[in-house]
Amino acid sequence: MSQTAARAERITKVYGWGDTRVTALDELSVSFDRGEFTAVMGPSGSGKSTLMHCMAGLDEVTEGTVYVGDRDLSTMNDKQLTRLRRERIGFIFQAFNLVPTLTARENITLPLDLAGRKADPEWLAEVVDTLGLPDRLGHRPTELSGGQQQRVAAARAMVSRPDIIFADEPTGNLDSTASAELLEFLAVAVREHGQTIVMVTHDAVAASYADRIVFLADGRVVDTMVDPTPDRVLDRIKKLER
Amino acid sequence: MLRVSLKGVWAHKVRLFLTALAIILGVGLISGVYVYTDTIGKAFDGIFADAYAGIDIAVGTESDFALGEGTYIDESDFAMISEVEGVQEAFPFIQGMGMTILDSEGEVLSAGAGPPTFVANISAPPESTTDGGAGGFTITDGAYPLGEDQVALDRGTAEQGGFEIGDEVTVISGLVGRLELTLVGIAVFGDDDSLGGTKWVFFDLPTAQAVLQRPGMLSGGSVQVTPGTPVEDVIARIQAVLPENATVVSGQDAAEEEAAEIQAALGFFTVFLSVFGWVALFVGSFLIYNTFRIVVSQRTKELALLRALGAGGRQVRGIVLLEALMIGGIGALLGIGFGVMIAFGLQQILSAVGIDLPTASLSIKPRTVIVGLAAGLVVTLVSALVPAWRASKVSVMAALREDAASPPKTGFLRRTLLGAVVSGIGLAALFFGLYGDTGSGPSPITYVGAGTAVIFLGIFVLSPLVAKPVTNLLGMFLERLMGTSGKLARRNAMRSPRRTAATAAAVMISITLVALASTLTGSIRGTIDDVLANDVDADVIVVPSGQFGDPTQGFTSEIAGRVEQLDEVQDLTRIHAGWGRLVSETEVSHGETTVDGVEGFITGAEPNLADFIPPDDFRGKLRPGPGELIIDAAIAEGLELGDTLTIEFEQTGERSFSLVGIMEGRAWAGIVAIPTDDWISAYGVDQHSQVYVKAAEGVTADQLKAAVEPLLADYPNVAVQTFEDLQSEAESQLNGLLNFILALLALAVVIGMLGVTNTMALSVFERTREIGLLRAVGLDRRTTRWMVRSEASIVSVFGALMGVGLGIFFGWALIRALEDLGFSNFVIPWLPSSASVAGVLGSLLFWLVATGVLGVLFAVFPARRAAKLNVIEAIAHF
Repeated sequence: MSQTAARAERITKVYGWGDTRVTALDELSVSFDRGEFTAVMGPSGSGKSTLMHCMAGLDEVTEGTVYVGDRDLSTMNDKQLTRLRRERIGFIFQAFNLVPTLTARENITLPLDLAGRKADPEWLAEVVDTLGLPDRLGHRPTELSGGQQQRVAAARAMVSRPDIIFADEPTGNLDSTASAELLEFLAVAVREHGQTIVMVTHDAVAASYADRIVFLADGRVVDTMVDPTPDRVLDRIKKLER
Repeated sequence: MLRVSLKGVWAHKVRLFLTALAIILGVGLISGVYVYTDTIGKAFDGIFADAYAGIDIAVGTESDFALGEGTYIDESDFAMISEVEGVQEAFPFIQGMGMTILDSEGEVLSAGAGPPTFVANISAPPESTTDGGAGGFTITDGAYPLGEDQVALDRGTAEQGGFEIGDEVTVISGLVGRLELTLVGIAVFGDDDSLGGTKWVFFDLPTAQAVLQRPGMLSGGSVQVTPGTPVEDVIARIQAVLPENATVVSGQDAAEEEAAEIQAALGFFTVFLSVFGWVALFVGSFLIYNTFRIVVSQRTKELALLRALGAGGRQVRGIVLLEALMIGGIGALLGIGFGVMIAFGLQQILSAVGIDLPTASLSIKPRTVIVGLAAGLVVTLVSALVPAWRASKVSVMAALREDAASPPKTGFLRRTLLGAVVSGIGLAALFFGLYGDTGSGPSPITYVGAGTAVIFLGIFVLSPLVAKPVTNLLGMFLERLMGTSGKLARRNAMRSPRRTAATAAAVMISITLVALASTLTGSIRGTIDDVLANDVDADVIVVPSGQFGDPTQGFTSEIAGRVEQLDEVQDLTRIHAGWGRLVSETEVSHGETTVDGVEGFITGAEPNLADFIPPDDFRGKLRPGPGELIIDAAIAEGLELGDTLTIEFEQTGERSFSLVGIMEGRAWAGIVAIPTDDWISAYGVDQHSQVYVKAAEGVTADQLKAAVEPLLADYPNVAVQTFEDLQSEAESQLNGLLNFILALLALAVVIGMLGVTNTMALSVFERTREIGLLRAVGLDRRTTRWMVRSEASIVSVFGALMGVGLGIFFGWALIRALEDLGFSNFVIPWLPSSASVAGVLGSLLFWLVATGVLGVLFAVFPARRAAKLNVIEAIAHF
């Protein structure tokens, strides 16, 4: 098993044609190691969401190659990408993470159900326990608080033991207490359970929970920072904006 | 984001189109039927005006019998007309029925259903007039027939039979048997080759009278007035010399009357066909209601924002109603256009199957446009009323809240009460229509129809209460079958019981009518099988071919005479049947029933009739002697053996009989039976309508049939049938009827299913983000499609279940109400009655499965949309 969970090699993503042509990613290369918690930061339009979509097999790159594990995404069709997403990738979105008709437990096991697999009961119990959710499993999403909903989403992302988990502004809709809880949990998942997480955020506090931060601007990686603290992150952002 | 909003607009367009489609189809059928029948009516107006152009005064006869042969006047009476002042010339006319024409191959010319064949006289008119005396027919090719060997045919019939002048034509009369004639002339009606597809066999007057066995009698005639004499005066003078049953009107009035008669017949046709259009609109109204309801709840925020900006509840209501008005108006206009196309198509189809109705340019009357527009607008507006009211109740706060607020919900108790009360009112109307005395008010059919519609509304109100458990159950079955897609579909179907129920309601109504048609035909089939199997003790029956169920069609007595000679025959009985009316000299009225004025078939029975059609039960004698009668127990309530009953016969007037027997069991198909000799003298003709035959020892029904068949070789108008033949003939006629009704109901079924399409499309749009999420976490396209299709299937089958239940109930209520007419057997046709298409279409189980499949098919587009959603945009939706 290689040490790299996912990597992008000189990927370019272009939207539109002619006058409306926008280059969202510009020959960007980045790699995410196993067991690493990476935050991706950058101003609006820097391409951080596009990068995540392309690396998660939700969107196609215009040029370059994306690998998840050792699989080349550009060679895969929609069906294979769908399989990849449910077996190798976990997702946490900003909001509306859960299917309203399913209970918390059913939402957590959804990727496994879709793959026709059974959840590993010990792993499921451990994930649920870590998240502090055991007594909420039978509830529908509408009966859960925002923080609880995001923790269920996190559990869903982890339950299939994916190669990599992508989190898109997972704390964007949460108050600071719920944010801290969720981020602490993500950090624990990486440290103690060996998960790989890539989190897109523009919140310096949230980013400081990561092991490493990748800064994007204009579709390129402009900087990285290891072992960040909120103050260092804010400093760096100010510097980059100058 | 632009693309997302464009997609929103596109979803809007599809919704508008589907909603309008329901209106287009319903209004199309209604206005199409109007345009078509108006067109035929216009054509007939023209034809009759032409045909009566040369006739000043038309003399006819009238009869107050609902279903008779018509009355006659004596030639000697008619001759008096010539003496009347102001009359230049009078042309006598006789016409009758009961004739079969054989084509040049010796086969019956269009046997079975279809326009009837008439016998009439035709003769050369004097130079002063164009009329030949045959009510508007004139010979344009060849000569007028003279003597008993010459015949003329209308051009349509001649062409159909492949006859040319000089050819030999064979016709078979039920009264005088087989006639070999020479075709000498071809007649046209006005400028038309045919009078609405009817067939005409023309003789000279004495021959026509002989063939009809009405020597010296006339049906009427036409009169030429001396120029300069006022027609009204002559009419009055002619009326004075003729008997009471004669009618005397001007040629113009006669043309209008005949055209009006056709219009009235067409009116029935119009009503019958347009009922299916109204049903389609009724189903469509549920689709519209549901669409607006969903859209209003999807637009809650937008509406709340309007409220926040100061729009009043009434203005918000106005916005929704205006949208409804536009959809209704556009749908109705397109529907009228579609109706014109339907009318044109109907014209082509009917002429393709040989029903040659006269044609004219399509007639689009203001009435058609007004009714079509009003129907479209009213149905849409009424359907949108409740959603619009809910829209006006949206609170300003809903704009500020994060979660899309749902409009107020009707509570469980209120819903139950409301539904029960509405259903109860509907049931009361239904049963009042079926059993009550409607008196001079609206007809029972109106009560039954309105009651049915109100019951639908009641069930519609109640259905959300059962939507959850039923869809849950159906979904569990699908989940077993399909796994995750089934599970998601089940949950989706359960998440909004009102939406599911409203969608299912449209399916329910159409399937109710389908199930009702199936149950009724199944029960009629069961009744016929019962009668044939249990009530008749004979091996074969000789009947006019292709005339199943019409006992006034008959054949000559020599046929039974020949059959009787066969060694294979043990015994036979001859049945005469004619129309008559029971009247009572002494106002026989016991309790509430009275036989006074009851019309029906009078059976002329041989003494051994009861050996062939044994009664279920009887009192008194089974073998009426001269001057005696036996009566059907169904109308005999309150009558006593020994009562004197009087029967009025159309031709010979009243005769009295003594009641000697009361018989239960309806296989003999008459209201009373009298002895054969009395029957023949009462009707003045000897024509058998049925002959029942028993096989000798050791002879099977098929062997007997094979023995009888050669005797009928010269009579292709008569057939010998075993009871298996009769059963399968009845079956095929019932299947034909069922197929016809199902074809008309197909429109309602399609609209019901379009409601499913619409709901699924709106749901997919509403759940864009959720579907995006599912796709992101690993739902593949195929499973996404099946998730949507399965939900559609669950909702459709839920509707079909309610529909089948209601259909069975309505069928049961109708059959019970018609028990007096002999519908003894109530059958629920779960399984196909035969391997034929109609047999399968008549099975209720088939429809349950079929709606499930239809649900999948009608969800193809919403499912495709769901599967094609761009995951990233979908997640970013709203």
